[in-house]
Amino acid sequence: MSPLLVWGMIIIYVIFAILLAFLSKNGKQNSMVGYFLGDRKLNGFVSALSYSATTYSAFMLVGLAGLTYNGGVGAYGFEIIYFMGVSLVAIFGPRFWVVGKKYGYVTPSEMLGDRYQSKLVAIVIAVSSCLFLIPYSAVQLTGIGYLLQGVTGGAISYTTGVIIATLLALLFTFIAGIRSVAWTDSLQALIMIVTSIIVVILIINGLGGLTGFFDQLQSNQPESLTVPGNGFFNFWTFLGLTIPWFFFSISNPQVSQRLYMPESLKSLRHMLMGFLIFGFIYTIVSVVWGFSASILYPDLENADLATPMLLSSDLVPPILGVIVMVGIMAAAISTIDSILLTLASMFSRDVVGNLTKQSTDKKQLTIGKLVIPIIAILAFLFAQLQLDLIAVLSVASSAGLIVSVPAIIGAFFWKKGSAIAVILSVSVSSIVVILLEFFKLVPFGLKSGIWGLLLSTSIFIIVSFMSKAPIHKAEEFLEYIKVTLSKSKA
Amino acid sequence: MHKREILLGLLLLVIVLLGYILPYTVFTNVAKWYGSFLVWTVLALIVIGINYFLTRNWGDDQ
Repeated sequence: MSPLLVWGMIIIYVIFAILLAFLSKNGKQNSMVGYFLGDRKLNGFVSALSYSATTYSAFMLVGLAGLTYNGGVGAYGFEIIYFMGVSLVAIFGPRFWVVGKKYGYVTPSEMLGDRYQSKLVAIVIAVSSCLFLIPYSAVQLTGIGYLLQGVTGGAISYTTGVIIATLLALLFTFIAGIRSVAWTDSLQALIMIVTSIIVVILIINGLGGLTGFFDQLQSNQPESLTVPGNGFFNFWTFLGLTIPWFFFSISNPQVSQRLYMPESLKSLRHMLMGFLIFGFIYTIVSVVWGFSASILYPDLENADLATPMLLSSDLVPPILGVIVMVGIMAAAISTIDSILLTLASMFSRDVVGNLTKQSTDKKQLTIGKLVIPIIAILAFLFAQLQLDLIAVLSVASSAGLIVSVPAIIGAFFWKKGSAIAVILSVSVSSIVVILLEFFKLVPFGLKSGIWGLLLSTSIFIIVSFMSKAPIHKAEEFLEYIKVTLSKSKA
Repeated sequence: MHKREILLGLLLLVIVLLGYILPYTVFTNVAKWYGSFLVWTVLALIVIGINYFLTRNWGDDQ
């Protein structure tokens, strides 16, 4: 791809995105709820698109296509199991939403701290989220760097790509907090869904229509249409990959925080249904890309090249290829800027807010805004260093965040859960997950995520039985949810 | 939890389990478009339907 075209498209995108970010300014962003939650007034349409953009990072169209290229239809199953897990929003979404409004929660960790009546709970969950999500952001940046470098033949260097992405992520958060992030996310999601579908149609047509497409798969590489197929997705690998992702929608704070933002339960519903439709289409698109690349270019050394190769192929007009390429960059940014905001809000509200006396809302907001660039710089530096440990933490992020799932489920469905049980289950299991990933251990053939979930669940239950739970708070909390939801869903 | 929520939740659980079981058993040798690819597609569409019914009554109030 011509570097001039890529640069031109990046500039056009940036102009539109900045314009939209300024237009999104509405009301004041001078409180924690205003800046980090958009005053709990996001409408369903923006919520749905922004939720999709935040969830689907750059690696959907690169990584999932690559995974399909390597492992066949199992990659599709992996993503569909994750997709099914988003149904957890239908169960937990309204519960997060009503207590968020009632008690004024800004972060999921704050909610857990209050529910279990322990500041340390909030601190431990916030810190473990930072531990896994900063490296995850760093790896997103690394991805953009390689991608831009790759498609322009080095004309846009790795570092330039990383710097552009970091600066844009910072800019989008600063203009109006979550509002500007949500609106630029929506722009990105809309561009991507439209252009990537066009690419699919062009490619399928080029391969002789749907019949031709499947005929070629069936005759040239039949194993790609089954699991375990070529062995890539043996059952235990599949289970180990899918379990942590199944719980993504409640375990990852950058998406569970979104449950506080819609203006009504109806908007929350639109967010969920909108996401499901978007996600279903996007999943099929990414998988078809991977399959198409395996038909067109069966001998790639690196499966992550599947998407770049496809976009540079004769079947896709160059201008469309460049739009999608910039869209992939924007997808990474839309994931990073949301993570930046979430981590900053957790750090200022749950860590600093709980460790200092007289922490006012205004002070927390100032600290939160100061922390955003610091986290961004950390992610940038990690991306530059390309340390092994960073890659390990990033891979471990979905497995590492799963350890808070028992505490989250317990908060809404089990009165006996105690604070010390949450603290021990989250901290011990996080450390075990990191050790398993670092030393590449797979005890009994089970991946770290499964161990993390088993261990954190056992510790949570056993320690809860041995300690005292905040029964009074639990009853009040659960009763309020019950009464409010039965009223509003009547 | 409402009775309906519990029932739909259980149905969801069954669908998820089928998403693990079917492709690795019945369809493990069906190397066609109507094999695992179609199974996961149909299951995903059912999940969209379940979510539709789970959230149908979420109101506009408050």
